[in-house]
Amino acid sequence: MSSTGGSVSPRDPLEICKQLVDMAIDAGAEQAEAMVESGRGVETNIESGEVHTVQSREETVFGLRVISQGSKAFVTANDVSERRLADSVKEALEQASVIPADEANAFAPPGDSTTIEGLYDPAIEKMTVSDSSRLAATLAEAVKSRDPRVTIDSGSVSFSIERSALVNSLGIEKEKSTTMAGGSLFGMAVDGEDIASFDYDSESSCRLDGFEAALLKTADRFTDKCVAGLGAGKGLSYRGPVVLSPEAVAEFLLSNLMGALCADTVRKGRSPLADKLEQLVACEAFNLVDDATVDSMVTSSPFDREGVATAKTTIIEGGRLRTFLFNQHEATLAGGNARSTGHAAGSASSPPGIGPSYIELAAGEESDLLASNGGPVVLVNRFSGSTNAVTGDFSGVVKNGFLVENGQRRPIRETMIAGNLFEALRDISALSSERRLISSSALVPSVRIENVSVTAG
Amino acid sequence: MSAAEVMETLKQAAASAGGFVELRYHAKTSRGVVVEKGKVESSSSRSVAGLGVRVLENGAWGFASTGSSEPADVKRAIESARAAARSGASLRSEAVADLPEVKLATGDFSQPGVDEIEQRSLEEKVGMARKLEETVRSSSSSVSSATCGYSEIFEEKAIVTTDGAAASFRLVRPELRLQAVAERNGEMSTGFEAIGTTGGWECLFRHGDGEYFASKAARTAVDLLSAGHPQGGRASVILAPSIVGLLVHEAIGHTVEADFVQAGSVAAGKLGQRVASDLVTLCDSGASELEDGAGGTIPVDDEGVLAGRTVIIRDGILESYLHNRESAARYGVAPTGNARAWEYANEPLIRMRNTYLEPGQTSLEEMIASTSHGYLLDGPRNGQADATGEFMFGVQEAREIKDGKLGALVKGVTVTGIAFDVLSTVDSVSDSFRWDLGSGYCGKGQPAKVDAGGPYIRCKALLGGEQ
Repeated sequence: MSSTGGSVSPRDPLEICKQLVDMAIDAGAEQAEAMVESGRGVETNIESGEVHTVQSREETVFGLRVISQGSKAFVTANDVSERRLADSVKEALEQASVIPADEANAFAPPGDSTTIEGLYDPAIEKMTVSDSSRLAATLAEAVKSRDPRVTIDSGSVSFSIERSALVNSLGIEKEKSTTMAGGSLFGMAVDGEDIASFDYDSESSCRLDGFEAALLKTADRFTDKCVAGLGAGKGLSYRGPVVLSPEAVAEFLLSNLMGALCADTVRKGRSPLADKLEQLVACEAFNLVDDATVDSMVTSSPFDREGVATAKTTIIEGGRLRTFLFNQHEATLAGGNARSTGHAAGSASSPPGIGPSYIELAAGEESDLLASNGGPVVLVNRFSGSTNAVTGDFSGVVKNGFLVENGQRRPIRETMIAGNLFEALRDISALSSERRLISSSALVPSVRIENVSVTAG
Repeated sequence: MSAAEVMETLKQAAASAGGFVELRYHAKTSRGVVVEKGKVESSSSRSVAGLGVRVLENGAWGFASTGSSEPADVKRAIESARAAARSGASLRSEAVADLPEVKLATGDFSQPGVDEIEQRSLEEKVGMARKLEETVRSSSSSVSSATCGYSEIFEEKAIVTTDGAAASFRLVRPELRLQAVAERNGEMSTGFEAIGTTGGWECLFRHGDGEYFASKAARTAVDLLSAGHPQGGRASVILAPSIVGLLVHEAIGHTVEADFVQAGSVAAGKLGQRVASDLVTLCDSGASELEDGAGGTIPVDDEGVLAGRTVIIRDGILESYLHNRESAARYGVAPTGNARAWEYANEPLIRMRNTYLEPGQTSLEEMIASTSHGYLLDGPRNGQADATGEFMFGVQEAREIKDGKLGALVKGVTVTGIAFDVLSTVDSVSDSFRWDLGSGYCGKGQPAKVDAGGPYIRCKALLGGEQ
């Protein structure tokens, strides 16, 4: 450890993985899988608009899965000493001994490989706490100079590097190196007694080139969103159209939808889409893909949490559901022609789950979704509410929203929307021609949804 | 390295360090099992241990973390934190003030339950989860899916500062989650129960055994199948302790965290002002006040300050914010013991612990009987709040009240309002009390284990949920 980030564990992650797998097999496991992530980084936090705490960190974490007598167990720790590795193998086997066997337990077999460019930038490896601090101060100043009414409650600028590897006893051996530059802002606008809803924004990149410019654009966007919420007044109760911003599409509509598309949710009887393969589940303009193979994208990876090669997956096409998302375990349980789609999600410190990497919702043709015949339309910039993942019923508050009526647009507060997510997908009447990248994980347009219940306080 | 050896290493490192240095060793072991539809879906164990070092140098904070507690690594981490602080110092418009003098904790403050839960076998814990999942699944032919998750977090800390803190403690936090999914004629509904505590199983199950919560989750899911939706709009509502807890945590507690106040939250500038009905006294405490086992209990915070009780609102008047040592210096008050870090690699932030409304003198029965029309709300599904104090909570169970009597169950309810406005409408507070968010986690860049609760209260808020 040093002010320039220092050294991570001197041991190669791939070698640690191989050692763990060998130790587990030698101890009696039928199958074993190990993942190691070794990372370090620097970060400068912003608090109340000022550079606050400057940090450097390093950590090496391993995750070990074993299958013993048909039972599966998982152990993770941040200590790669010989003693800890041996204790962990023992603990995993003891854990497995009290878990019922499951014939579907199996790790992924070796298969294809994927190549992705631009995930590692040596320039980021050279970043120091001085670099993160200078950029954090620049970021804070950019917000202040654009509009002094905006206060940053918290924010950060960070640079990190990670080397990771995954090995299993069936022959998979994968490794990668990635770098990331990131920045975030969280705060609100305050003008006398008028306090707007909080808002946030972030930027991340695998490459240093262009990062500072992108981060300063984020500062502008964040500031403008915060200020737009000042002067919010009473909304209007009606049943009719609402427009979701790209943020709301990504963080509300699609995040809930993706949960219903995971094969484990389907198997457990918790997805209303379970029997809807090849059926219309959304409007015909709805085209959704997930792609972990985009060059230079921080969410990209050549292999998933089980070592399976990633690929571009078409999930919904022309409104029709084409596939669910599978990891190896769910594909085995599903049987038939089911194969892992490379969607085993998670890190070394957790057993694999299922999830998307980088989703793209195709753009539509509309340039102005807020245009109406004079009737009310609410623009939902952010949705703060609850969605029942099983039924799709949602209800919650519109944040930093606007009411457009008779050509007039004004900010609103204490306005709730309610409906059903899966009905809303079919009630989408338009998608915008412009798209935005949200949190480096979703490229989405705005969408207009009809027949939503809107209640003003 | 044993806990005693770690403490000795930290003391020696602090003794030879100049300036202000805070050393925090934190070991955390989490174990969990999830059973679903008769299968053990996952069984896992996670151990994370290391040292977080914070220094205040040249009027700026520096932080470094290392997974090692060896003396040479501790020394190296201190130097890293110092270099980090120096890099930020010249970029601040004003220096962080020297920390206020305060009586810092020394000694061991371990909490009960650790040995008891460690001695229970993994087999017993897995067996309990399998049995309870079976109970949920077999409760009704309408239950199509059931889940039971059991987890436990063991924590061990040693905190040493160059100005006198030398405290250590161990604690354990077990949690149980049960979910039922019911299905009939294509309609689906869910019932969810979750409990958590700081302590042993006796404490975890103090309000009922696992079978009780399993049956309750199943019954809720089945009952909600035939429930209607409420009429949206402003209504008189009686909030159960679980919803009161969510309200005081999300909608009040966050707005009085001093760093958020500094950024301009709705509580800024309101000390000494009336912000709630005079029936409202609201507190945050590191101890488990009024009832044992609160899930956010900490004896000492991560700056070495004893984590006592803070009255935030007394009889409706805003009395205090929640502070760490830095914000206490800025506001000229004593630190309140609210500096908390999730793991060794996280810096301490101002966080709540156990947040609650104090009980009053009315019985729940009297409260319902004197309500002409309204809703009784229980079981939070989730919740968020804003800098403005505007909050939104999803509610699992809502019962209509008509002419003083409990009526039909309704579903899909969301309650919202501006927290101080809603608390100003409180006209009745029950004499009962319960911690009811013991399985809760709070997010603020890093998680924190918290609890919240209170009595039943009656107030006015905006209900959503009509389809």
